[in-house]
Amino acid sequence: MATSPSDGGPSLRKDEAGPARPPFRRLLIANRGEIAVRIIRACRELGIEPVAVYSEADAGALHTGMADRAELIGPAAAADSYLSIDAVIEAARRSGAEAIHPGYGFLSENASFAHAVEEAGLVFIGPPPETLASLGDKLAARRSVAAAGVPTVPGMLVPLVADANGAMPSLELTAVGFPALVKAAAGGGGRGMRRVDRLEEVGPVLESASREALAAFGDGTLYLERLIAPARHVEVQLLGDRHGNLAVLGERECSVQRRHQKLVEEAPSPAVTPPIRELLVESARRVAGTVSFHNAATVEFLLDADGNHYFLEMNTRLQVEHGVTELVTGVDLVAWQIRVAAGERLSDAVLGATARGHAIEARIYAEDPHHGFAPMAGSVTAWRMPAGAGVRVDAGIGAGTALPVEYDPLLAKLLVHAHDRPAAIARLRRALDETLVGGVQTNLPFLRWLVDEPGFGAGSYDTGIIEERWGRGPELSAGPRAMAARAAIEARALARDGRPIAGGSASPRAENAWAAQARREAVSRRRSR
Amino acid sequence: MSDLEATIDGDPVEPADGWTLAWLDEAAGIARLSDGSRSEICLVEGSGSAWVVTLGGRRIPVSVRSWRERVLAEAESAARQHGGPVEVRATLPGLVVAVAVQDGDEVAEGATLLTIEAMKMQNEVRSPRAGRVSGLSVVAGLAVATGTPLLRIE
Repeated sequence: MATSPSDGGPSLRKDEAGPARPPFRRLLIANRGEIAVRIIRACRELGIEPVAVYSEADAGALHTGMADRAELIGPAAAADSYLSIDAVIEAARRSGAEAIHPGYGFLSENASFAHAVEEAGLVFIGPPPETLASLGDKLAARRSVAAAGVPTVPGMLVPLVADANGAMPSLELTAVGFPALVKAAAGGGGRGMRRVDRLEEVGPVLESASREALAAFGDGTLYLERLIAPARHVEVQLLGDRHGNLAVLGERECSVQRRHQKLVEEAPSPAVTPPIRELLVESARRVAGTVSFHNAATVEFLLDADGNHYFLEMNTRLQVEHGVTELVTGVDLVAWQIRVAAGERLSDAVLGATARGHAIEARIYAEDPHHGFAPMAGSVTAWRMPAGAGVRVDAGIGAGTALPVEYDPLLAKLLVHAHDRPAAIARLRRALDETLVGGVQTNLPFLRWLVDEPGFGAGSYDTGIIEERWGRGPELSAGPRAMAARAAIEARALARDGRPIAGGSASPRAENAWAAQARREAVSRRRSR
Repeated sequence: MSDLEATIDGDPVEPADGWTLAWLDEAAGIARLSDGSRSEICLVEGSGSAWVVTLGGRRIPVSVRSWRERVLAEAESAARQHGGPVEVRATLPGLVVAVAVQDGDEVAEGATLLTIEAMKMQNEVRSPRAGRVSGLSVVAGLAVATGTPLLRIE
């Protein structure tokens, strides 16, 4: 990239100034939370009328109020609202939308949904349904990617099944090598995944892993893959159009994870040297060649301690962490998703974009990092997000928002951009110190710890960083205890006529959302009996 | 300034000396703690004796009582130990996997009341004293959070 807004000069080239006329007149966003807000903003900038959908639990949500119009699509349970293909298509018809952006999660990788959108005569902001169907089968993807000459994690290319007598295919399993991971062929996110250290451990975990995969993805097929550890999770961002152009927009480092889900991402990766990057990009191009897509896409790799990379999976949708790539490349991925869906060609500026400076994203979740990152339910009282140079906040909530237990507890993504990695870390530390979230425990203590963690500062960390270095976090030390005692005593003394502060008879321990959800389900099960 | 005392997790805590609190946004509970040369922003929520102070993003439950309230509470808890009803609450979040008693059952001190599974461990909840079970409010299959009332022993 030749220019960036920080150069002070004219920062918008002709082809970045947006299309001459809006790609669509009206677009429906089949999602909620911060990503729905992000897409609404992109629509506004492109001159498109955004239409939101919402469940009964989200009537007062930020995204519901921001769009030109909002369509109710069902009750709180995602299965009956945000995951209901019929309800979403009907909302699009009612509102006169021409296209549907699925965001990430929910229906974004559902081939039947993509098909239904096309059947309804609307444009799906995503790949063709066949691409989603083929990528959904991780084993098939492993086979075709391996055939394209891309290194895959060593392991099985066919489903793991016991023979008629219940015996394991020992030779095949031994060939994979141990320790290994039992994985679900139909999905990711750690569901259906089990670590096995010896051949004898495989048999006993199959039933529960298969059941978990079946419940999560509707398919209990499993396979075995060697465990690469220590490993870093590095992914390459792609953007394709309908004319065969492919932009490779550099990599993201996503190794800070809990429960196999990302918490902090950065671009570029501190582990990727120019020679490694060249190999990653070549592999990503080859993977892209195995499927047809005209959308944003991500190829995920594991990087071992020696710098070898192994294909993990490919997603042909927007990723949560797309913002770090936007910051370093200056390419608006959401706007381009919409533009290429309407048939536009990728511009030369996009095709030639390179990374500039360093960007980090810290995801702010309603989760208790001192108790296994358990999701928390409750209502957000105080809400102060940071601002200032090089800071971007993509939030899905505001003060007073109740957090429905039915959905992902992601509250906001805090992104920073600076000229290099140390400056980006300093900026993130400053921004975190400006951030205040009241009413519910968040993972902010973990994020604040991370920016001062020496290994993170040096860029030397892997996917084990939370388990090995954070654990349950430091004990509450004497300093903060004394300060908290002082604050509470003074607050009570200052509170005239015993008036509650910040909406509350503070419940000392807000209910764990897992517990709340399970309780609700147990109650509804009993009712339905 | 007052006779207020603070406890955290049941332990008395000496408040930081020389620091004072000033509201920045009282409605939202945003305040500045300052000792004249240093300052720190914190969040304060609560009323009466139940408060939560958020420092560095960490929510710290603080109980604030006058010495009179403390003496009363201590007397109450002593009375409870001598025959008053005792509320049995979950001490950890988990799943109730078995309930061994029902309302009206007479139980001995230490008898198993129910079993909560957490982190794949089976934890037996035992009766704090002899008495009669009442107000049983959970069933097997129910998830409970820390502090969820389970039943009473009268």
